[in-house]
Amino acid sequence: MKLSRDGIGGLVVFAGSLVLIWMTLGLKDNPLVPIGPGFYPRIVIGICAVLGFAMFVNDWHDQRKAGPAPAKAPRDGPSLNYTLVGLMFAVFAVYAVALPFLGFRIATFAYVAATNALLAPPTEPKHWVRVAILALATAFLTHLLFENYLSVLLPRGRWTGL
Amino acid sequence: MTLKRMIAAFGCALFAVPAFAAYPDRPIKMVVPWAAGGDTDNIFRPFAPMLQKHVGQTVVIANVGGASGTKGAKESKDSPPDGYTLLAVHDYIHSTYYTGVAEVNYHDFEPICLIASTPSVLTASPKTAWGDWKGLLADAKARPGMITVGATLGSTSHFFPALIEKAAGIKFKYVSYEGLAPRMNAILGGHIDLTDSNLTQKGKVDAGQLKFIAIATEKRSSEMPNVPTLKELGVNVVYDVNRGVLAPKGTPADVLGKLESSCAAAAREPSFVDSMKKQATDVRYMGRKQYADWLKGNDDLNKALAKDLGLLKR
Amino acid sequence: MFELLASGIANIVQFKYLIPLAIGSLIGVVGGALPGITITMTVIVVLPFTFGLEPLQGLAAMIGVYVGGETGGLITSCLLGIPGKPSAVATTFDGFPMAKKGEPGRALWLGIWASIFGGLLGAVVLVGATGPLAKMALEFGPWEYFSLFVLALSMVAGLVEASLVKGLVAGAIGLVITVLGNDPVMGKPRLTFGIEFLEGGVPFLPVLIGVFAFAQLMSEVERMGGGRDAFAAVDRAVNLAVSHFKVIGEILARPILLLWSSFIGLVIGVLPAIGGSAANMLAYDQAKKFSKHPEKFGTGIPEGIIASESSNNANVAGSLVTIMAFGIPGDAVTAVMLGALTIHGIQSGPLFILQNPVLAYGMFAAYIVAHALVLIILWIGVRWMLRIVTVPKAALFPVVLVLCVIGAYALNNTMDNIYVLLISGLFGYGMVKFGFPLAPFILGVILGDQIEINLVRAIMTDDNPWLFLTRPISGGLLIASVLSVALAVWQHRRQQRKGVAPAQDDVDF
Repeated sequence: MKLSRDGIGGLVVFAGSLVLIWMTLGLKDNPLVPIGPGFYPRIVIGICAVLGFAMFVNDWHDQRKAGPAPAKAPRDGPSLNYTLVGLMFAVFAVYAVALPFLGFRIATFAYVAATNALLAPPTEPKHWVRVAILALATAFLTHLLFENYLSVLLPRGRWTGL
Repeated sequence: MTLKRMIAAFGCALFAVPAFAAYPDRPIKMVVPWAAGGDTDNIFRPFAPMLQKHVGQTVVIANVGGASGTKGAKESKDSPPDGYTLLAVHDYIHSTYYTGVAEVNYHDFEPICLIASTPSVLTASPKTAWGDWKGLLADAKARPGMITVGATLGSTSHFFPALIEKAAGIKFKYVSYEGLAPRMNAILGGHIDLTDSNLTQKGKVDAGQLKFIAIATEKRSSEMPNVPTLKELGVNVVYDVNRGVLAPKGTPADVLGKLESSCAAAAREPSFVDSMKKQATDVRYMGRKQYADWLKGNDDLNKALAKDLGLLKR
Repeated sequence: MFELLASGIANIVQFKYLIPLAIGSLIGVVGGALPGITITMTVIVVLPFTFGLEPLQGLAAMIGVYVGGETGGLITSCLLGIPGKPSAVATTFDGFPMAKKGEPGRALWLGIWASIFGGLLGAVVLVGATGPLAKMALEFGPWEYFSLFVLALSMVAGLVEASLVKGLVAGAIGLVITVLGNDPVMGKPRLTFGIEFLEGGVPFLPVLIGVFAFAQLMSEVERMGGGRDAFAAVDRAVNLAVSHFKVIGEILARPILLLWSSFIGLVIGVLPAIGGSAANMLAYDQAKKFSKHPEKFGTGIPEGIIASESSNNANVAGSLVTIMAFGIPGDAVTAVMLGALTIHGIQSGPLFILQNPVLAYGMFAAYIVAHALVLIILWIGVRWMLRIVTVPKAALFPVVLVLCVIGAYALNNTMDNIYVLLISGLFGYGMVKFGFPLAPFILGVILGDQIEINLVRAIMTDDNPWLFLTRPISGGLLIASVLSVALAVWQHRRQQRKGVAPAQDDVDF
């Protein structure tokens, strides 16, 4: 059975919905409210399941009709750089985890420096200076502005106390 | 950094006790567990700057509404007990516990102070056929269970009409409207017939958009002397909503002491007293010890009420 | 009303409000002009700054962003042929050819002046209609709100280019996200997967910020190859000199076009959920249909620019009407604004204008004054704008993401929001990669809780489910939502018969 992106997506939605519906079955009704906490979720997730299944069937039908599809259509323009996307997400995840330990200023400095260096890899010392200035400025100016002038609290570091 | 060292460092972080400077050395968050613009919010908004003035740090209000006020209560309960997260609370903390809406109760917190007390007023939509208690009573007897009441389920706005139901021997139908602000939209549009409100809504009554049926005080209010008390109408219900400040259980005593003294000074500030007067609310200050006793008494009272009303779930 | 408006304007031109409004307008113009940064993104970046300001200061800044963004988007559309944001796509059709023909100044200023006129026409309706609409909104009971939300969702799903089913699935997934965590009526935990912080429900602003920020930025990142400057070849010193009298004359000589395009923008703005990206295309399409020389559209004629730009600014006024009269967000930008209002302790809804007249008229005034400010900003700054919009993305993106983190964290000072940000970022990017449209998804997340609460309220008020159909407004709204889906199906069929394959990889939101 051949499926395209849509068919797989539909199948994932359908399967996920079934799991969630199964999870709503254990919810108890509350005497104060005529419909229980599971009533609306079951409707919404049910709709989601039906639509996901429709997507899957549609795609299956299309793929069979189309027969052996031509090998992946050539894309215009440059190929997509998924490694970079992956790295961006990874750096952000490290940032999110490190924030409560390192505190806003240190974590943000490291994050901005890392991301900037990732997106525009420095090739000479001058570039590294640029990266450092951007990171320093972002981390300290935002901190100064938000904590001192806008009374917005930023995460504090458990290790650093900053 | 090797993996081993990272794990070691991580372990340290978990056990490291941060060194405290003199409290408070950073801004304090006060959780208001209701939507913005509601009556609780209206009372703590003017209070926060006064507390800020005396505690010596910024006090930020965070509206964490939802689930009959229990979402905010839960969030503050789970916050570190360091005096940087406070909960603005009223009697709902007892009632939602006993009606089974919430798992959080007052003994998950340390009392700091009680600041205000607002009498409840039974309020009707302008679209109802009747405008006074007699009409309401007759209609309720003729159509039992058909008069709709907007209420935060399991909370004070549910208890108050339920007490009237019991005292007058009538039956209402409850519809979930969380907080006073959405209830006002619904009652002005006539989508519910009755609700619990208070004298803060006086302006709308004067403009003919709302009808006050009766007030749940011992004596008529000097702000609105033409609104009868429930007692004089033969319905023996006196009910008010009391608002105070709590901190998560385990907050150090010196921090609590600092908060208590700042709270006491804040409650005496003329600008706070003024804004409470505008909202027909009495400033009712109690310190830690007295508030703790009062909470205990109020808790028993709410349990008894819940039992009487057939809402007790524990 | 005019006295209130006059005092609103007198209020807003004080320095303490004028400064945030001006800064907001400037950031909006720049953000709108930057390709790959939409207005939603810009408003998200501005959000944390508004926490510490007075409510009107914060709202003025956001309104400035909104107005500035709608206008700023035309700069790159005209000069580079790259729309600065989805609602300026139609501007490229005629703006870029005109610029290429050697009249970049004319193209640009036609667009700017058309934006200003369209926006000010919108202001008339904003000031005049919000009050009466709010009175009408008061008549909306739970049934009507429920049906209105259903209509919004079905319309936005039907507008999706690629596939109706995928639009509906995206909307449904958004709704499913909101049922996770707890039920909004009694607060009982449900579907928490045992994760404790989910017990409070999924906070919608971090989801919105995460989905938009990552889906947008990552879609740019994946096209970046190690420091290559996409704008290397751009000539940054174009001559933009033009006679303003002539340009204004050109616009005012076509009053019907201007009025009709602004009207389309307004109506689409008032309808919840359909944003400027639909307004400018529809206005352009209409202008072409009613034109005596439709074949000239696309070759660089002024009508195309005027239609597109006047409609997208009027659209802002329409969205503001909806948020102020009904208290429901018409799009992601107003959803963020609504979030900012709530943080300041203000409940939007039918009673908003009555209870906060100073704030409401301040917002009207901010909207009007923002147009003047945007004009001044562009008058002085347009010659540098091309330099600004070609700022390296490698520097821009981390800063934008840091501001998103601050915004999400500061909503209620919890790290959980940042984790939600990350997870929804991954999720949003995944949806884009699977070709799901984001607009219906976001709308589902925004409206989900409200749909459920109103459904429960309706049933608690009266257990007769037929009331959803028999109450006239509610029934009408539900019929309209069925019709909108039917219309979408019919249109897709027709397109397929014509053999036009729907664009598969065109992800725009």
